[in-house]
Amino acid sequence: MAKRGLAAVTICSTAFIMLGRAQASALGNASLPIAVVPHPFGLSSRDEVRQMADKCVDDIVKLVCEAKSG
Amino acid sequence: MSSNLSGASERAGVIEALDDLDEINKLYRERRWSDGLPIVPPTAERVTRMLQHTRRAREEIVARVAPGFGAATIERIAINAVLAGCDPEYLPVLIAATEAVVDPKFNLQGIQATTNPVAVWIIINGPIAQRLQVNATFNCLGEGAWANATIGRALRLILRNVGGALPGDMDRATQGQPGKYTFCCAENEDANPWEPLHVERGFARGSSTVTVVGAEGTMNMNSHSKDAGELMQVFGDTMIHPPSNEYTHGGEPFLMIGPEHAHILKRGGLSKADVQHRLWETSKMRADRMSPNDRARAQDSRRDELGEFRPDTILTIARRPEDIGIMVAGGPGTHTVYVPAFGNSRSVTRAINVEIAD
Repeated sequence: MAKRGLAAVTICSTAFIMLGRAQASALGNASLPIAVVPHPFGLSSRDEVRQMADKCVDDIVKLVCEAKSG
Repeated sequence: MSSNLSGASERAGVIEALDDLDEINKLYRERRWSDGLPIVPPTAERVTRMLQHTRRAREEIVARVAPGFGAATIERIAINAVLAGCDPEYLPVLIAATEAVVDPKFNLQGIQATTNPVAVWIIINGPIAQRLQVNATFNCLGEGAWANATIGRALRLILRNVGGALPGDMDRATQGQPGKYTFCCAENEDANPWEPLHVERGFARGSSTVTVVGAEGTMNMNSHSKDAGELMQVFGDTMIHPPSNEYTHGGEPFLMIGPEHAHILKRGGLSKADVQHRLWETSKMRADRMSPNDRARAQDSRRDELGEFRPDTILTIARRPEDIGIMVAGGPGTHTVYVPAFGNSRSVTRAINVEIAD
């Protein structure tokens, strides 16, 4: 999406940051913004996951806006 | 091959090293270029000898391998084959296997980067299996056959060295499994009372193929029953396991049926399609066997197929009976192996193009 000129952000849990960074780099977009959420959330209820999403939504919007302006 | 790959040139680098096996292995260990076992040094001579078994140009890119999307050139496939200890005659199998794993329906990205222990199981069919002495009988998933051991190992080395799936980095497997060192066998076509896997998939009986399966592991089923119906019940009961990607997504489980069991089923009047259908029925599971969180995941994945779940909703292990993979392998004995699969993946079969007579 970033290569097509669209603002793009990837969301990774902490356990997958290295994978996200390495793949972004391999695909030629090392500066791809990555929003990070805590890991694990497999044991969390859906409501807890929603709360987690609420907490990081501002970060995601900020990264999208930065990507768009950048 | 997609067009953006054609014509590109990516030659492997050459490093000077002392003619000392210990030193070379030390280098490979430090640079994480091995799977943890000693390697055969891929000298220019050995790689050239390997390349004599294809007419394709050494710099031709066969595929980009997820998750790092490194270029699997013919030369790099040959180098990893040398590293693994392959005979040069094995190269066409590895080229076909590399083509197979990058088929989108195999979902290599998921298989390489997941926390799941999934490994790539290679099944070889057709006359090449006997010619290369790929073991299909006694201990065919165990040690002892050069082709089985080194072909499976070479594909793993391609996946990590070209695909970049290094454990703890881009390979996020929580535990992994021994099959990630090597996982390769042939189908025992001589002992198969039905059509072999490649014929079922539309290839000529005399052609040679490689099939790749995203396999979670192996579960042995030792049954002394001589009754086809009983065997179908035993196999189906064993395949039921609630924390399974297959029930979560509707997968593609495989059975490696031992020749003795296969003949009991055939004698009981069952075709391969009958076996698939009976297994699909006997492995059905109530949704409330899953934990609530797991059931929610399955619900998300299978809503389009099964609608809203109730506790008594019946989950099938595969979306269709024909998605249950059946192959026959092994020697004498009352054993059949259930190979649970990754769920979000479909096996892929490719023809092996043997271009140079050996």
